[in-house]
Amino acid sequence: MKYRLPILVAFASGGLMILAFFGRGSAVDLVSNEALRGQTIVAGLALLLGVFSIVQVHSRRIATRHPDWLYSLILLLCLAAMAGFGVFAGIEAGSVYDWLFQNLQAPMMATMFSMLAFFIASAAYRAFRARTVPSAILLATAVIVMLGRIPMGQYIYDALPSWANWIMMVPSVAVQRGIIIGAALGAASMSLRILVGIERTYLGRG
Amino acid sequence: MSEFFSSPFVALFPTAFFTLALYSFLYRDNPLFKLAEHVFAGLSAGYYFGLIFHSVIVQQLWLPLTQDGEWILAASGALGLLLFARFIPKVAWMSRLSLAFVIGSTAGITFIQQLHGLILPQVSRTLLPLDSVNNVLIVVGVLATLIYFYFSKPHTGPLGWVASGGVGFIMVAFGAHFGYTVMARVSLLIGRIQFLLIDWLRIGS
Amino acid sequence: MGLWERLQRVDRRVLYTLIFLSVIIPVLFPLSLPTPVTPETESFYAAIEAIPDGSRILFPFDCWPSTLAETEPMAVAALRHCFRKNLRVVALSNVGMGGPSVIERVLGQVAGEFGKQYGTDYVNLGYKANYQAVLLGMGSKIEDIYPTDYRGTRLSEIPLMREVPNYDSLKLTVIISDNAMVDYWVSLVNARFGMPMVAAVTAVMAPKQLSYVQAHQLQGLLGGMKGAAEYERLLDARDRATRGMDSQSLIHLLIIGFIVIGNIGHFAARRARAAGRAGVAA
Repeated sequence: MKYRLPILVAFASGGLMILAFFGRGSAVDLVSNEALRGQTIVAGLALLLGVFSIVQVHSRRIATRHPDWLYSLILLLCLAAMAGFGVFAGIEAGSVYDWLFQNLQAPMMATMFSMLAFFIASAAYRAFRARTVPSAILLATAVIVMLGRIPMGQYIYDALPSWANWIMMVPSVAVQRGIIIGAALGAASMSLRILVGIERTYLGRG
Repeated sequence: MSEFFSSPFVALFPTAFFTLALYSFLYRDNPLFKLAEHVFAGLSAGYYFGLIFHSVIVQQLWLPLTQDGEWILAASGALGLLLFARFIPKVAWMSRLSLAFVIGSTAGITFIQQLHGLILPQVSRTLLPLDSVNNVLIVVGVLATLIYFYFSKPHTGPLGWVASGGVGFIMVAFGAHFGYTVMARVSLLIGRIQFLLIDWLRIGS
Repeated sequence: MGLWERLQRVDRRVLYTLIFLSVIIPVLFPLSLPTPVTPETESFYAAIEAIPDGSRILFPFDCWPSTLAETEPMAVAALRHCFRKNLRVVALSNVGMGGPSVIERVLGQVAGEFGKQYGTDYVNLGYKANYQAVLLGMGSKIEDIYPTDYRGTRLSEIPLMREVPNYDSLKLTVIISDNAMVDYWVSLVNARFGMPMVAAVTAVMAPKQLSYVQAHQLQGLLGGMKGAAEYERLLDARDRATRGMDSQSLIHLLIIGFIVIGNIGHFAARRARAAGRAGVAA
């Protein structure tokens, strides 16, 4: 019951989506539309699970006086402030929620990711070596594309932009396509395994 | 004095402070970075809460239920609430029903989507007339890449030759990808420096 | 330790300082070099240019705040082109973390430049969870998925949305994305509903998306800050992306320099070690 019922639900809901593909405008399509609407609601509420989990973890750190408990307290205060302003004072442009997002959260996220520029440059310096023929090909292509894609590239050698275009549209597209087809075959077979109940790790244990 | 307080320097000070606090990590881990990190995580989780409250609970559930009488949505709401059963050990298994509904539907959609939306169009666009070097390279490149990632047979003999050809193609593609990745990461840094210099300090153009 | 080995062990903070400087110097002293325009960017421009003035388009902004330096200039440039042609824009986001807030700000800013009105010229539907269900559900009835816009106004009270029950009344989708959402738009909406689309994606995603361009599943593509700079050039409206390309030039040269020095150092040190071993053996 604890396993069979969920597997049956997965099979029925997935089967409905497949059937709906072949009958746009039919009764099956109407039922599937209702199911799609339901999915957006259930998945939306699932996102709140993550928020509850963060609250749980950091409350525990505060209760057990973990060495970083003060940071956890700051985290929970920020969470409460943002959520409180959002729920009670609205989320539209001009709200406190929106101000906190536009002026603190978004720039901080952008800053975190911008640090990757330093790490990628440092990694290129330390690890990008032409030790073998394949790694020499990789290195040469990277240099051509990096030069061909900057405004200065055309002043270094005027054919560089067109070389970069050719690399992107011929050998690179061929490989990307191979990967897309391979990954799509993998995703389709994984979906089938879920539908027929072979793959059930998402159900967890116990 | 009031001009000073309404200046971009003061107005954008909180943003600039946290930007610099995060960059301090480049020197080494420090309390300022940790503070910024936790403020960021708290705001992010709070953002989700506010968004889901309005976008899902109010707009998708409460309004249609109370104003339009769409009682069928109560079933979706109930399935959504079942997710939280995982916090009560006795009935925790029931949250699997909601999960199975979302995962099962997604699997059904994905199955068709991958076959109809990706494999068919991508394969059909690879069936090119072999009348130019570029077309030959694309066809050979796609096949060699697929064979390189085919691990059910050892890569020996003709299969091995094609697979090693695939390595050549893959290296070209990964090199190109590296170039684009550098461009992407550098752009993010440029964005932050433009903020600090142009928007905040009002220097540079 | 020889010179070449020392060159391979430069402290990371020295490298970081050089990187900082190569971004800062061009911001202070711009070179304003023209960016060559790629065929994919020209196709993107042509796709928007080809639809009749006043048409309705879909504008998904599927981006995280982390990549705004790339995605915002592309979104701004594309929106300027759309509003220049008086296209009416239906925006939404499949990225919960910030997507709807960013597009609210960016749409408001660009619409303000052109004197456009919310509700008649543009609308922000906001975010709903589970992108695959959202994309498919909107094909039948947008109002089922989005009973209200981001601000909480019922769709039936928004003039623009009264004309857009589903995809059939939209002429083009202009996707701005920094994640796999383009794959879903292409494989669900383009494949199933035949909706023409163009995409503006971060540079790291561009190589994969070119495969969709070559297969005509996408009509055009902008790739990151460079794509935005190219578009600014086509629109003759230079902005942040064009300015950023000077720093991009310098830092690419710096990284290539790092790679070259690293390799010279590696091979010189290897040769020196081999010579040392040969000396010992002799």
